[in-house]
Amino acid sequence: MASALGKRKRRDHITDPETSNVSTADAEPTSSQALFRQHFESTFEPLPGPFARPPLVHNLDAKASDEELESDWDGFSEHGEEHADIVHYAIPVPSEVDVSKGEYKTFMSAKPPSLATKQASTAKRRKPDLTNNDESSIDAANLKKDLALQRLLKESHLLDPKSSLSLSHSGQNRHRVLDLRLQDVGSKSSVFAQQKMPLAQRKGITAKAREREELRRREAQENGIILEKATKSKKKDGSIRQRGIGAPSVGKLQGGMLKLSKKDVAQIEGPKQVARHKR
Amino acid sequence: MATTPQAPLRLRTQRSLAHRLILSTLTGRAVRFQQIRPSSLTHTGLASHEISFLRLLEAVTNGSQIVIGITGTELLYKPGLITGSAPGSGASGGVIRHELPADCIRGVSYFLIPLCLLAPFSKAPMNVLFTGPGVITSATPSGDMSADSVRTAILPLYAQFGITNNIELRILRRSNPNTSGKGGAGEVQLVFGHQVRLPKTVHIMNPGRVKKIRGVAYCTGVSASNNARMIEEARGVLNPMTGDTYIFSDVSSAPYPTSRDKAYSNDKGKTGLGFGLSLVAESSTGSLYSADLASPPAGGVPPEDIGRQCAYQLLESISFGGAVSLAAAPTVLTLMAMGSEDVGRLQLGKDVLRSDSIIGLARDLKAFGASAWGVRESTTELDGDVVVSVVGRGVGNVGRKIA
Repeated sequence: MASALGKRKRRDHITDPETSNVSTADAEPTSSQALFRQHFESTFEPLPGPFARPPLVHNLDAKASDEELESDWDGFSEHGEEHADIVHYAIPVPSEVDVSKGEYKTFMSAKPPSLATKQASTAKRRKPDLTNNDESSIDAANLKKDLALQRLLKESHLLDPKSSLSLSHSGQNRHRVLDLRLQDVGSKSSVFAQQKMPLAQRKGITAKAREREELRRREAQENGIILEKATKSKKKDGSIRQRGIGAPSVGKLQGGMLKLSKKDVAQIEGPKQVARHKR
Repeated sequence: MATTPQAPLRLRTQRSLAHRLILSTLTGRAVRFQQIRPSSLTHTGLASHEISFLRLLEAVTNGSQIVIGITGTELLYKPGLITGSAPGSGASGGVIRHELPADCIRGVSYFLIPLCLLAPFSKAPMNVLFTGPGVITSATPSGDMSADSVRTAILPLYAQFGITNNIELRILRRSNPNTSGKGGAGEVQLVFGHQVRLPKTVHIMNPGRVKKIRGVAYCTGVSASNNARMIEEARGVLNPMTGDTYIFSDVSSAPYPTSRDKAYSNDKGKTGLGFGLSLVAESSTGSLYSADLASPPAGGVPPEDIGRQCAYQLLESISFGGAVSLAAAPTVLTLMAMGSEDVGRLQLGKDVLRSDSIIGLARDLKAFGASAWGVRESTTELDGDVVVSVVGRGVGNVGRKIA
């Protein structure tokens, strides 16, 4: 089949077998008539009758062949060539384009292939409008500059005084800048905040910070400067401790022993009922 | 169920037994079959695939009664509620496991198509795994379509009734019929998870024009070149008609029967060798026409012949006209008859309508209490088509009404 598919050629001109037969049969006697008819039809309107079309073979050639009959040499029979039926078979060649993987999945998966086959949408995708190009580009440029300025104001203290003129951060400073930006975006704590340290040291740090804050507030008060309201450090919300699954819901387990504090005991016992009526 | 106990409907012979049982289950009307192969000397009474189908019905329903006469030529069936694969009714892990006997001569589609008709009306999702030494996934000489065609030509039609979600037909293992024509060793799982109160009323009036042809060439246990040869020949026939033709190839090894029964397996233990082709033509409006052919159990037919004949079969199915092919018409008409009390219309080819199975279906539906069909000539330019008007019964899903 493959060979047959490949070798078939295009049918060049398709002639009705019937009409072609008629034309060959009537070509000789009615050639002059046909010429008249053709002329008539070209000027007026098509005539009714079996011979509506002029023969496909041009009649001038027929005349020429008549003349040639008188010469000795027969030559090649043109008559035969005129009717040589050149056939090119054109069968739609199997599309070599492989069906897409999506098609395979929809057809060969366990699910029934849906009736509404998705056709590739011919609607063109809307491209961003280029008409008000100038305004938008100016806006974008302004936004960019604004952002750069904001960053410069916030991060200028980290700029290295030694490296002259470059506004980009490098090395350790670059990390610090990144950390600042993260905090701006909403990160809870700095990456550089020390996680583990001796308790005394941490206490010292917090004490120093509090002292510094107090000093600042006192000085401001003395000088008549109004500061922002002091925010009290919130107590942790998680007052109800999350206990492990299956762990005792009261007390604490230490060394394989459940220890109940007085508070726990009181909670278990509930409020003490005082007997009102003594008998 | 039996609020007004009606006398069971009396039907004769084994003709379209499965579909009649489905109608009985859907309408809730008891039915008594008589004269089931009474004159056959060797296979009197119910055949093994019919018994197996009754078992399947019992598995997916609750409270159905089946009484078979001593000779097997009589059968009384009182339907119960369609429960599907609800837990506690034979379903383990939500899956009903149904084993087909080794001497089953029908393809698995004999069970699948009726089961799919029950599934939308079931209480719980339907999830049935067909296993055992009798599962033939390919087309069979008895005229069953392949499991592929069920998936590609029957199940998509449910979408027109608003039943679309969670429907799957997994062909886990392929098998052709054994050399004796009995049994294979395939494995097929049907998941039908969309249950409705009533299927939508449909008006399928426009067959459209065929725009693409898809297909599956399958072979089990034989050389994959058989697939290529079938595909080549089928495309040679079909390509001049539509350029958009593509046939997928699925090659699988021969299945081993899961329950080893010495009587039905050859010495190697492999069964169900063969190859086959399933073709589906889809029209511009979503009408589906299918054709199926597999190598005969005895073998001896070259794959070229199978491919060519299957392609011709598809062209014949298309030439019958109508919006629904002969293979799918019983499913669509039954769903329409079980729909809401409204007139649905369906355009069918005259050759489809006057076939035995459709005329028989119309009579059965009438016997089970559905209203008769109205038939008129199609007004469109397509001559040879008729429009069938079907009034739904409005009974729908009894289990769903209660639950």
